[in-house]
Amino acid sequence: MTTMTKSLSRPAGYKTPWEKARPYVYILPALIFLGLFTVYPVIDMIIRSFQKWNLVTAPTWVGIKNYDYIFKRKEFREAIVHTITYAIFVVGLGLSISTLFAVWLSKSTFMNNLTRTVMFMPHVIALISVAMVWAWIMNKNNGLLNMVLNFFGLPSLKWADSADTAMMSIIIVALWKAIGYNTMLIYAAIQNVPRELYEAADLDNANAVKKFFKITLPMISPQMFMLLITATTGSFRVFDTVRVMTHGGPGTATQVLVYYIYEQAFVLNNKVGYAFAASVVLMVMIGVLTAVYFRILSKRVHYQ
Amino acid sequence: MAEIRFEEITKKFGDKVILDHINLDIEDGSFTVMIGPSGCGKTTLLRIIAGIGPQTSGKVFLDGEDISGLPPAKRNVAMVFQNYAIYPTMTVKENIEFGLKNNKVPKDERERLIGEISEIVGIHELLDRKPGTLSGGQRQRIALARAMVKKPKVFLMDEPLSNLDAKLRVSMRTELIELHNRLKTTFVYVTHDQTEAMSMGTRIILMNKGVIQQEATPSVIYQDPDNLFTAQFIGSPQMNVLPFPDEKVRYGFRPEKVHLTNEPGQYFYTRKGHIVTKEMLGSETIYQVRYEGNSVMIKSLEDSFEQDHDVYIGVKKPNILLFDEDERRIRPDDARYEQWMSKL
Ligand SMILES: Nc1ncnc2c1ncn2[C@@H]1O[C@H](COP(=O)(O)OP(=O)(O)O)[C@@H](O)[C@H]1O
Ligand SMILES: [Mg+2]
Repeated sequence: MTTMTKSLSRPAGYKTPWEKARPYVYILPALIFLGLFTVYPVIDMIIRSFQKWNLVTAPTWVGIKNYDYIFKRKEFREAIVHTITYAIFVVGLGLSISTLFAVWLSKSTFMNNLTRTVMFMPHVIALISVAMVWAWIMNKNNGLLNMVLNFFGLPSLKWADSADTAMMSIIIVALWKAIGYNTMLIYAAIQNVPRELYEAADLDNANAVKKFFKITLPMISPQMFMLLITATTGSFRVFDTVRVMTHGGPGTATQVLVYYIYEQAFVLNNKVGYAFAASVVLMVMIGVLTAVYFRILSKRVHYQ
Repeated sequence: MAEIRFEEITKKFGDKVILDHINLDIEDGSFTVMIGPSGCGKTTLLRIIAGIGPQTSGKVFLDGEDISGLPPAKRNVAMVFQNYAIYPTMTVKENIEFGLKNNKVPKDERERLIGEISEIVGIHELLDRKPGTLSGGQRQRIALARAMVKKPKVFLMDEPLSNLDAKLRVSMRTELIELHNRLKTTFVYVTHDQTEAMSMGTRIILMNKGVIQQEATPSVIYQDPDNLFTAQFIGSPQMNVLPFPDEKVRYGFRPEKVHLTNEPGQYFYTRKGHIVTKEMLGSETIYQVRYEGNSVMIKSLEDSFEQDHDVYIGVKKPNILLFDEDERRIRPDDARYEQWMSKL
């Protein structure tokens, strides 16, 4: 009643200051939280990337010297190339293998239900706990993988101990860890595609490949897009696998961006400014890539 | 043009028998309506014709050819699903075109067919839209167009009007009848709505619990039911069925076949009763009348009778149907007929 008399007594569309401010007041807590824990650290990081600092004495302003330094060094440029290589394989292979598994698993049988449970396990086990197992699997003398290779008459590899195969080894472990999780998400998405669509497609004479590309993939595109973005950003931030398996070596064979940042900041003489500059570069790369994804792919993502 | 024949079709889900030894002929060019309560196996039977939910045993023939083992696309049938099953990620045109493309129909032929069909169904201006932006009635038309464009021998429709509002349902009913007259193709139409069945079907198949109760024209189903289930399923309010005292045999008469009078009339079956409730529905009035411990519904064009008053009900002999202890009809040519009738 009161609102009615109020709205009658003033021109349509008029809002009191409180009414105008109200929506912003409601989201204020979230804004404060975001500002404090997301925006502020990013700005701080950008500022510090222009400073020289050793974690002890007061930082001094050095302009773009940090950037100049890291870009002139081979290790940093290599780290970028390694990171991109790693991301391409882990995202590309990870998503396509997971999708294949998910499609296969969605034909529900007892074996498949069991397989689903087992597949998810790598995701819940800490990498460090299975590092020993992988060390054995990839052992250059009598590891499981070499046994398999030898069985097929192929020569043994030195896996993580050789600069030629170290990156591949890391990618294999990363895939092992990621595929279960991806498969679960894609599997769940596929389960949500209405069965009748496939039946209609059967009547429309669509073969399995057509059904996958014309029905399944478009229907699960929102989840695939989300996975693509999280998998890509995750790959660019790879650290634990490298730290556990190779420490960036042999030589600089598996030096990736985050490991580089870590070394600059905490292993080598506390060169924090370099680490911050590299972090900004990483952030920009991820940002640009995500923007490109949205630009190119979001039109092809089908939201219900 | 196609005739469908079921031979000993049985369908089980696990141990549960859904369809039990169905033997049935669906006439070429007929508008056959399958009707029955929810869960009686109508959709299951339709899916067997389409080949998307194969039978456990038995055979399906189309024009004399055994299609039991054929994949859905090779059967020359098209289906309109209950929820339409339109591909949500494709435009309307792509939806209609999908089957044609898969069947390698050349592009100009496809364009011609799509133009022709969308004209008939009236969706020309929707061709570039995505299904998500369309109303229920429009989706229904698209599902129809997608089925029609394949020029199938048989149209299968699973409760295609059940998602539409009442008004649209009535107009779509007429349109479907016209469509059938025009195409002269065999339509197999599933519904649980008896008005739809009676108004659209040239043949009605009434099912219950996986068994066919009766297969006949709408008027035979109404006038001359084979059994109690059919008699009670068709008609609204449903047929009054009363037991002979201390017997398992029952007799029934439809609410609209009862005459109400203030004085006893010259009817084969006359009783004095008491009006318990009265419902005015406009052109007709529904009375509930009690007598001899029975309660019957009566539909009358006369609304002059008052609640809580006594009234005489009268039914002519041909309008009284007898059902034996197994709920099967006892017809006038049955030896038992006169014997039971004389007890009334
Ligand atoms: N995929 C299935 N698995 C198990 N039971 C099913 C399945 N599909 C249908 N049924 C059962 O079969 C019976 C008939 O279903 P249906 O043919 O869909 O009935 P309706 O006549 O309502 O279309 C129902 O009892 C239903 O529960
Ligand atoms: Mg059904």
